[in-house]
Amino acid sequence: MPGIELVGYYDLLPEAAERAAQKYGGRVFGSLDDFFAAVDLVDICTPGTAHKENVLAAAAARKAIICEKPLARHLPDALEMVETCERVGVPLFPAQVVRFFPMYRKVKESIDAGAIGTPAVYRSARCGSFPRPGRDFSAPYYADFNQSGGVVLDVAVHDIDFARWCCGEVERVFTRGLTFAGKPFQDHALLTLRFTSGAIGHIEVSWSHPRGNFRTRVEVAGDAGLVEWDSLDRPPLLAELYDEQNGFQRLGSSPTSATDEPYYAELAHFVDVVEGRATPIVTARDGLEAVRVGLAAIESMRTGRPITMRDFGG
Amino acid sequence: MAEHNIRIGFLGIAHLHSVSYAGNLLAMPGVEVVGMYEANEQLATEWAGRFDVQRLASAEELLAAGLDGVVICSENALHRPYVERAAGRVKAILCEKPIATTVADAQVMIDACRTADTRLQIAFPVRFAPSVVELKRQLDAGLLGEILTVNCTNHGSMPGGWFVNPDLAGGGAVLDHTVHVIDVLRWFWGAEVTEVYAEIGESLLHPGLGIDDAGLLSFTLSNGVYGTLDTSWSRPPSYTIWGDVKLEILGTHGVVYADTLQQYVTVASNAAGKTRWASYGSDMDGGLMADFVKMIRMRGEPSITGEDGLRAMAVALAAYESAKTGQPVKLSNL
Repeated sequence: MPGIELVGYYDLLPEAAERAAQKYGGRVFGSLDDFFAAVDLVDICTPGTAHKENVLAAAAARKAIICEKPLARHLPDALEMVETCERVGVPLFPAQVVRFFPMYRKVKESIDAGAIGTPAVYRSARCGSFPRPGRDFSAPYYADFNQSGGVVLDVAVHDIDFARWCCGEVERVFTRGLTFAGKPFQDHALLTLRFTSGAIGHIEVSWSHPRGNFRTRVEVAGDAGLVEWDSLDRPPLLAELYDEQNGFQRLGSSPTSATDEPYYAELAHFVDVVEGRATPIVTARDGLEAVRVGLAAIESMRTGRPITMRDFGG
Repeated sequence: MAEHNIRIGFLGIAHLHSVSYAGNLLAMPGVEVVGMYEANEQLATEWAGRFDVQRLASAEELLAAGLDGVVICSENALHRPYVERAAGRVKAILCEKPIATTVADAQVMIDACRTADTRLQIAFPVRFAPSVVELKRQLDAGLLGEILTVNCTNHGSMPGGWFVNPDLAGGGAVLDHTVHVIDVLRWFWGAEVTEVYAEIGESLLHPGLGIDDAGLLSFTLSNGVYGTLDTSWSRPPSYTIWGDVKLEILGTHGVVYADTLQQYVTVASNAAGKTRWASYGSDMDGGLMADFVKMIRMRGEPSITGEDGLRAMAVALAAYESAKTGQPVKLSNL
C-alpha cells in the first residue's frame, strides 16, 4: 500500500507475533508502550472480549484505531470504546469488511443510483461450518459463546451492518436459532427484522453448514426493482479436474485485482480517512449499532420474543 | 369393457391456474371437460373460447350435467359457497388453494363434503414437482441426518386483479404464498406448525396497493425444526421469471438447496425488452390433475385433504395475527 509501512506486531503470545513477522515482515514488540511509540495506526485483531482494553490503551496513546468486528462482546464495553475515542479525538474504524466486498458495494451503489426504488424486502445469508478448535480455522474462543457471542455476534454483525447501510435503522428483531439448543458444534440463526422505514428483512447465519464451502447471498427488493447476488452462481473461473486418487473435482474462484481485494480496500479506505482524503463510509457508531442489534437478536433467541431496539440496552 | 370417461366441470375459473389445469385435463385420455361456469362475463367468454369448452349459464346447470368431479378455481372467498353447492352432486372436488379465507369457512367445507360423501382435495401442485418428490425421497432416506432448520421462499410477482381485493382474496401475499411451502413441509415430516411470528408489509413493494405484498414468517414445527418463509410479491415485472419456490433444508449431515423452477433456458428477446427464464421443467400441475382423476377412477381417498388445506391456511392467518399483535402466535389449540 503506497505510503504505508508495516512496522510490526504486539501480541500477548510472542510466538504469534513472531509467526506474523516471519510471514509478512516487520518487527515484534515486547511491550505495548514500545509498540505505540513506533506506529501511527493500530489494527486490533484480538478476540472481541479483549478489544476494549486495547482500544482504550491505543486511544490513550492517541493512535488511530482499526478494530476487528464485533466491536465488543458486550454493549457497555463497545459504548465506552466509542465514547472514549470520540472524547479523545482519535478515529476508531470498525472492521465491517462486508461494506468493502465488491459485490456488496455494487448492491449498495445500485440502490443509491435508484435502480430498485425504495428498499422494501432485504435478504442475506452467510453460511459456513463450525469453527472447531484444533481445525484449520481454529482460534478456540469462537466455540465459547461467552467469548464470541456465537454465530450471531461473530457473523450476523456483518449482515446487520450491511442491512442498515441499505435499509436504515432497525426497529425490532426476532430470531430463532441453535445458539441455546445445546447441540455441540452447531450454531445457526434466522433473524427477522423490521426497519424504522417500514422495510422488512431476513438474515441467515450458520456455523452448521458442511465444511468446505462458505455460502453468502444478498437480495434487496424495492418498489421499482430488485438486486441480488449469490455465491452459488457460476464463478468467472471454474476448473474441472480429474485424477484417479480424488476423482472429479470442481474448483471455482472469483479473483479480483489486488486493490479491489476487500481487506485491502478496507484498510486503504481507513488510511485515506486518516490522511484526510476521504470521509468514512463506516463509523464507530455503525459498529456499535451492529453489536447492539446482534445482542438484541441473541436476546430474542433466548426469550422467544421480538426485541424492540428503542428499549434495548444490551 | 371400456371404462367410461371421467367427466369434469370447472366451477369458477378466476384463478390463473384454471388455464393450466384445463389444458392438462383436456390432454388426458379418458377425461372429458364437460363444461364451465364463471360469473364474470368477460373472463368466462375468454376462457370458454380458449378451450372450446361449453359455457353454462349457471352453477346449477353445470352441476346437473352428470359430472364425476368439479375443479373450483374461483376467487378465494367463493370457494366455500361453490364447495357447498357441489357437495353431494359430484364424487370429488378439487379446490384451488388457499382452501378458504377463514377457519370457519374451511371447516364448513370439510364437514359438508364429509356429510355428502364427496371427496375434497386441495390443489397443492408443489407436491408433484419432480424435484420436491425427489427431495422427499432423500429426506425419508435420511440423507441430511437430523434436520435442524429450513429457509424457504415463495416469491412472486404482484398478481393484481381480485388477488389484491381483500373481500375476494381474504389476504395478500401472505395468504397467497404461505400455503404451498407450509403444505410441503407438513407433508415431508408429518409435522404441524406450532408457532409463527411474522413481519408483514402492506403496500410496501407496491405503494397504494391496499393489501399485504411482503411477508416474512418465522415458525417452529412439532418435530423441533424451525424455519422461515418469505412470501413477498417481490419480483418486479422486469425480472426474469414470475417468482420462485425454494427450500433450503439444513441437517447435521449437510444442506439441500431445492429450487423447483431451476430448470429453465434463458431467453433474450428484444420484443420482450428483457431477458426471461423459460421453464423446461416437468409440469407439476399435470401431476396434480392425474392424481385427482386417478382418485375418482379408483374411488380412492384424496392425497391432499381439506384438513391439509385448513392447516396450511391457518398458518397464514396466524401470521396476520402475529403481525397485528407483534408477538409470536401459538397454533396448538386449532
